[in-house]
Amino acid sequence: MGTSKSYEEINQKIRDGDVVVVTAEEIVELVREKGEGKVAKEVDVVTTGTFGAMCSSGAWLNFGHADPPIKMQRIWLNDVEAYTGVAAVDAYIGATQLSETRGMEYGGGHVIEDLLRGKEVELRATAYGTDCYPRREIETTITIHDINQAVLCNPRNAYQRYMAATNSRDETIYTYMGTLLPSYGNVTFSGAGVLSPLHKDPNYETIGVGTRIFLGGAQGYITWEGTQHNPTKALGTIMVTGDLKEMNPRYLRGCTIHRYGTSLYVGLGIPIPILNERVAQTVAASEDQIKTQLLDYGVPRRDRPVLRNVTYAELRSGKVEVKGKEVPVSPLSSFKISREIAEKLKKWIGEGKFFLSPPVELLSRDTIFKPMKQVTGAPLVKDVMTKPAITASPDDRISSAAKLLAERAFNHLPIVDKQGRLLGIVTSWDLAVALGTGKRKLSEIMTKKVITAAEDEPVDAAARKLEQHNISGLPVINADRVVRGIITSEDISKLIGRRV
Amino acid sequence: MNIKILLRYAEEVLDKPILAEVIRKTSAEINILHAEINARKGEILIGVEGPPEEIEKIIKLFEEKGVEAEKLEHVVTLDSDVCMDCGACISLCPTGALSIAGDYSVKLDEDKCILCEVCVPACPVRAIKVKRP
Repeated sequence: MGTSKSYEEINQKIRDGDVVVVTAEEIVELVREKGEGKVAKEVDVVTTGTFGAMCSSGAWLNFGHADPPIKMQRIWLNDVEAYTGVAAVDAYIGATQLSETRGMEYGGGHVIEDLLRGKEVELRATAYGTDCYPRREIETTITIHDINQAVLCNPRNAYQRYMAATNSRDETIYTYMGTLLPSYGNVTFSGAGVLSPLHKDPNYETIGVGTRIFLGGAQGYITWEGTQHNPTKALGTIMVTGDLKEMNPRYLRGCTIHRYGTSLYVGLGIPIPILNERVAQTVAASEDQIKTQLLDYGVPRRDRPVLRNVTYAELRSGKVEVKGKEVPVSPLSSFKISREIAEKLKKWIGEGKFFLSPPVELLSRDTIFKPMKQVTGAPLVKDVMTKPAITASPDDRISSAAKLLAERAFNHLPIVDKQGRLLGIVTSWDLAVALGTGKRKLSEIMTKKVITAAEDEPVDAAARKLEQHNISGLPVINADRVVRGIITSEDISKLIGRRV
Repeated sequence: MNIKILLRYAEEVLDKPILAEVIRKTSAEINILHAEINARKGEILIGVEGPPEEIEKIIKLFEEKGVEAEKLEHVVTLDSDVCMDCGACISLCPTGALSIAGDYSVKLDEDKCILCEVCVPACPVRAIKVKRP
């Protein structure tokens, strides 16, 4: 009944130099032509590859002991803090930790790349001092060659697929999915699609703890399921480890995601042994069979609205239809380097430099990814807003509005049409400026481009808008732009009082 | 041929409609990419589409009227040694100056660039540079 191969048989073929290896891109056409039965017989290994920003990455470093010795309590590498709550001279430098002097321009990801490039890195550490570790501080410079271990240890890499992103708001937003232009102005996506390592073995029949992989240009290993591993939603992840000292900076790059933070581009590839016809079939999934969802990142909630389903083939084409409009698409993962990784892994196996390791245990297929337990609910705008908001019509007189605001002691007056829909806003400052100018109607002085909030928006998001636009109140509107209330910095201050 | 020209207006000619006059006297297409005018001087960056002799004529016309006209080349560069070909910049480019080639590498067509610079900070590894004179 069909073909069945073992890891040992495949490794023997690698030793003998007659192993047949193709990339995950090449296998698609092969299976289409010959069918999975024939391909399972002929092909031994399919190589995958991906190269994208993987924020959950970092490296364990061991610096050796100073004299007199120090038990580091806090440590900075090029002004980027690393975690040293383990023994005396071990530290974990995380990719997204920002420089304390250069902010988002430089972070943990850059430190890792600089170490890999053999550059000198400034080390600064402080300590409380003990009888055995009397030293209180140290400043020195190190290179990767000066330290003991440098082990890349990434808790969550190689997402099986990822949600594509766009933005419904009328302003540009800066997210971990890159710069998203206003009014669905662009779409971004991540992942290598047809080359995606985990998506080429979606039932995890060959991938698990102990699988030898391509990691950052060297040979590394899968050490566990990744954090947030979510197999039932086809969002599997892996935890990986490898020797940083052997890696290649072409496949490990520090990066800055504009106005979001720093990260690390990681190159990763998994060889998939074609053990049977089932594996040959799933490994041959083409980009039009790999689906994901397009989400609205304009909504700052955990569960963002799904705008539509989309395939990687559509995303790869460079244009996607959103709300009846053709929108340009940016990949955030490099398909060129993903392909290069799959080719390199293929070459290593073909030349007998890379052998397959049978996993000690396969990846879990039923782990559930839970949301955070919150003992206090995060308040929404509707919980703290003032309602109903006092509003005015554009034809109302400036003098009567001034009187109203003075009597009722508030500062923001939304201007609405007869149906209650927002047209503009007038603040007490606008009224003060208008006095004595000869202007009479509110329509002459109102601000038409109003920053607004929605009832179901978290208060934190509204507070961020106030801060970013340097204003003190937001009319709260529904989908038809009808004013439902108003939220001001005072409402938010009261909330903080309540929390305390 | 598409070329960028930086026009420098001295204080004496700031109030003259020189650009309009030049546009009337030439068949080339002129596109204003950037303009900055203050009390002492003015600078206008234009993109000009037309045959080389027409472009030379335009430069001469400006200079005759007291406007310094400098042809700009390689104002925007994509450092291919630094670029990771990720494509984060592609969908932000309003003119298609940045695109993904058949081999999935990112390409920059300088002629199409209008120097809006949206791509510059969006590049995760700072591979795109704009050097204004």
